[in-house]
Amino acid sequence: MGKLSRREFMSVSAKAGGLVLAGSMSPGFLKFARAEKKNEAYLKAKINWRQVEGEQIKVLVTPAHYFNKFRAVSPQFTDLTGIKVEFEIIPPREMREKAVLDLGAKTGNYVSHTGDPMFLSLYEANKWVEPLDEYINDPKLTDKVWFDLEDIIPLWRAADSVKGRLYGMPVEGEATIHIYRKDIYEKLGIKPPQTLEEFKESAKKAHKLDGKIAGAALRGFRGAGQNVYIWPSLFLAFGGKWFDDKGSPQVNSEAGVKSLEFYCDLLQNYGPPGVENMNWPEIMEGFAGGNIVQYIDANSTASIIENTNKSKVVGKIGYQRWPKGPSGRRVTSIWNWTMSINAALSRKKKVATWLYIQWLASRPTQFSSAVFKENQDAVVRTGVNRISIWSDPEYRKVIHYTPDYADVVLTSMRQDTDADWRPRVPQWPKIGEAMAVAIQSALVKQATPKKALDEANENIAKFMVR
Amino acid sequence: MAHHMKSKWPIFLRPVMVRSLYVLMILVWAFPVLWVILTSLKNRTEIFTLPPTIIFRPTIEHYIEALLAHDILKGIFNSLIVACGATLITLLIAVPAGYAFSRVRFPFRTRLSFFALLAQMAPPIGLIIPCFLFLSRFRMLDTYVGLIAVHMTLTVPFSIWLMITYFQDLPPSLEEAAIMDGVSLFNMFLKVALPNAWGGVGVTAIFAFIESWNEFLYAVVLTGSRTKTAPVAIFGFLAAEESRWGPFTATGVLIMAPVIMIALVAQGQIVKGMTMGATKG
Repeated sequence: MGKLSRREFMSVSAKAGGLVLAGSMSPGFLKFARAEKKNEAYLKAKINWRQVEGEQIKVLVTPAHYFNKFRAVSPQFTDLTGIKVEFEIIPPREMREKAVLDLGAKTGNYVSHTGDPMFLSLYEANKWVEPLDEYINDPKLTDKVWFDLEDIIPLWRAADSVKGRLYGMPVEGEATIHIYRKDIYEKLGIKPPQTLEEFKESAKKAHKLDGKIAGAALRGFRGAGQNVYIWPSLFLAFGGKWFDDKGSPQVNSEAGVKSLEFYCDLLQNYGPPGVENMNWPEIMEGFAGGNIVQYIDANSTASIIENTNKSKVVGKIGYQRWPKGPSGRRVTSIWNWTMSINAALSRKKKVATWLYIQWLASRPTQFSSAVFKENQDAVVRTGVNRISIWSDPEYRKVIHYTPDYADVVLTSMRQDTDADWRPRVPQWPKIGEAMAVAIQSALVKQATPKKALDEANENIAKFMVR
Repeated sequence: MAHHMKSKWPIFLRPVMVRSLYVLMILVWAFPVLWVILTSLKNRTEIFTLPPTIIFRPTIEHYIEALLAHDILKGIFNSLIVACGATLITLLIAVPAGYAFSRVRFPFRTRLSFFALLAQMAPPIGLIIPCFLFLSRFRMLDTYVGLIAVHMTLTVPFSIWLMITYFQDLPPSLEEAAIMDGVSLFNMFLKVALPNAWGGVGVTAIFAFIESWNEFLYAVVLTGSRTKTAPVAIFGFLAAEESRWGPFTATGVLIMAPVIMIALVAQGQIVKGMTMGATKG
């Protein structure tokens, strides 16, 4: 089930390219005939795509190549449905502020935004967004067989659900994986580490090999989306849990302290200088420039470090899943960009928004946008949301960085984490900030890991009471 | 202070000391600007080379890319409209207001001039929610008029105060002569005070323009795809998968260029404007 045929693939991707030209110039009947053919993959869905024809929707989007691709293929949606989509592109932090402002004030200016799943609990608690199951289960709005929700990476759906109901649709995402210099490993006789302890050993062995290269890097920059994007994987791999059964925070448990000690020890001794200020772009550039032996971060960085124009280490890179922690678990991040329906909209606009989300998350659009080339140097999307596409040989061909890259990513996404990788509670923004401060103060030795986490735990307990 | 220095340093060394201090201070201020200009001319690999290179073969590829990204030119155009609009209306309000506050007696004069600064006393982030709601209610989000109105809450207060100091600086004898001739208040402003305060109006205009031109916080929330200004558009280059510092810094230079040019042309006037309050004590 679920594979795109070669023909379907060819036609969808070719159309994505020719789309802009195809539209306006052809005479009426020809245009109609072309539209029919172009929309073939979508017209298989047994719904009326044109049910709210003439509506206009505005979506907040953050700058990213995958969203550029979504925007580039979206005229096809307008062609199919008669719904106009406008995009507003602003930096992520400002986008979130603006979205929360719009949702909170119920002004309904933006029908949806490229959201962070960690905020869905907050949205749900305030009834700012609509539960999607109502739209999915309405046969007038969704052809369930055609849409095939189950094909969308289950862990992402779990992460985008609150109290068992889906509130956001994953449209793009990533997993953190272990990315290392194969050539240096071979030179030093290091085997790809299977445990975090071996990972640290390998960093120690390779550190300053040429007097300069850093043994390993992880995000050190302070922020809920920076150092608190990496440490939770260590925390859970060490056997940690954010809350006990009674709901009291447990970040200063033994697993918490041990995992933070591991993180500090690794980065203080074998990390690059200034690692406390490094987010993933700096780490990626450091690796691409040959200054870092290995890192654990988003699989999407592969598209840059495997680009000969941007990287000195092409062909020398190995990929594998996270090494196992003392608890025996490998724990990857669970990140996806999620799209919800603003609850302050008119019914018609809600329907239009759902049609757009359904279209965007559907197999044909995910595929055509993944391989869309907005310019010569354009990279391929490495965060498609569907298992069937990840398993599709045509897709695998375009992300063939190494023979096992696609498997490493897909397996990580399917097996190596859980939805509660980070606490999905309305208080998350504050918790994230408290953890970011704790992790960094331990890293720069302002506090011992134990002390930093004790303080964070106390603060989190206070947030949870309120 | 001067006495202290005299006693400590031999006289012939003092100019050298002072000069090197100047150079040092200029470097501190100019460093970020120079860095941005240098980065904008480097190719991608050069940008990420450590330690950074000073000598390299310059390229204009980032400028071409910045200008071809349709957001940027449009952003600069939008910024021009907003900044010119805000400056013009600000002057229409602030210049007569400044004159009134400095020369005309009316009830609550001091208190009113103080309250003119009220909007500046809260941090902009605190005012952004009411601004958003207000503009949203009146369907003025993502319109030039909306952003110009909000920018005026920043430019009008300090422009009024700048103009107050300018008008207060004019010798009263000018107007005293006019009063003898029975000139009306409005004509006094228009024909006597204003012609002698053009320098001040120019400086006020420049400050108001720069304030609006560079403003980011309001612009990012209150504009949309139609009226997005340059400081907002530039962030399109810091994408989720990669920060494209080349085109980013090239756009930065394009945004800075008009401001730097204005500053160079009007240097003398600006310095006078900035030291005005100081000389009055």
